[in-house]
Amino acid sequence: MADKRITIQATRFDPEKDEKPHLQSYDIPFADESMVVLDALNHIKSYVDGSLSYRWSCRMGICGSCGMMVNGVPKLTCSAFLRDYWPHRIVVQPLNNFPIIRDLVIDMEDFMHKLKSVKPWIIRQQEIPLGAGAHRQLPAQIDEFRQFSECINCMLCYSACPVYGLNDKFLGPAAIALARRYNLDSRDQGLKQRLPVIAEAEGVWECSFVGECSVVCPKGVDPAKAIQQSKLDTTLRFTLPYGNRD
Amino acid sequence: MPSTWWTRNRRYFMYVVRELTALPLAVWLLWLLIEIKRAGDGPAGYRPHGSTAFVVFSVVALLFALYHSVTFLSLAGVIIHLKVLDKPVPPRAIVLTMFGLWLLASVVIGAVLIGFAR
Repeated sequence: MADKRITIQATRFDPEKDEKPHLQSYDIPFADESMVVLDALNHIKSYVDGSLSYRWSCRMGICGSCGMMVNGVPKLTCSAFLRDYWPHRIVVQPLNNFPIIRDLVIDMEDFMHKLKSVKPWIIRQQEIPLGAGAHRQLPAQIDEFRQFSECINCMLCYSACPVYGLNDKFLGPAAIALARRYNLDSRDQGLKQRLPVIAEAEGVWECSFVGECSVVCPKGVDPAKAIQQSKLDTTLRFTLPYGNRD
Repeated sequence: MPSTWWTRNRRYFMYVVRELTALPLAVWLLWLLIEIKRAGDGPAGYRPHGSTAFVVFSVVALLFALYHSVTFLSLAGVIIHLKVLDKPVPPRAIVLTMFGLWLLASVVIGAVLIGFAR
């Protein structure tokens, strides 16, 4: 077991030296069946090549920082086990559809801007005073939006979405899923503020339902469902006489 | 984004096939309009286009229409968010209803066309 090894090929890119990204191979020990791709990268960083750059934080599929392309598929590297790939090599690349800052680190500025534009927080027209107590919700009301609230902003869905790859003005899966999460929340009154963003051509209407966003989501969120439901909702709001309600 | 992105995995490929099915349908419907225009001069001078190539093309267009319809109606359960008596309708029930309505519409249109032909 101690002799078992695996080859990791990681993207290297230094914008000050390299014209374009290239792969570099690392042969590392595969000492433990529970090792994940992130452990392999940490081993390389600690013992082989300290200049390798990548994002990570929690190691447990919560923070959404360590998303990368693993053999061409967007994955959280903390949840991608080496045993599922061994004895074959593993190619680790930065997430598709985003500019590369360095090595495996992508520029997430566009996503952060889009996320902010849908106001993913509870908006009230009139705040309820603290003295009024908790704003109660029935389990059925929570079930309306619960799965969309699981999103950890890991951007795997953007990386899997060819529509976003072809048109980066598209609002994108996670932002729309989170907009839907708040629009479905019985405590929220911000739908009319989000509507101009999600209902425009490059909001929900740019999506042609490839569905890959939902396939790659590590938290079981279904952004494709959120987008298609938002299409139906926004259409009804604009067409039915009683549709444009709060 | 390389132009070969749709070859990266099977789901991308099937998505592109699904979108492309609309193309032969559009061509077939244009042909149908031409046939209707030709038939407008009266039954005496009208001979329907029945070459082997057209029959083969029509069968392909039919298969594409069925594939497009099945994929579209199967997704109805994802898209439609309905409540009856304050309880959400299961997606499977929505999909089955959609297929039922599709079948009903096909039977009604078929009956009307056969009725006119007689």
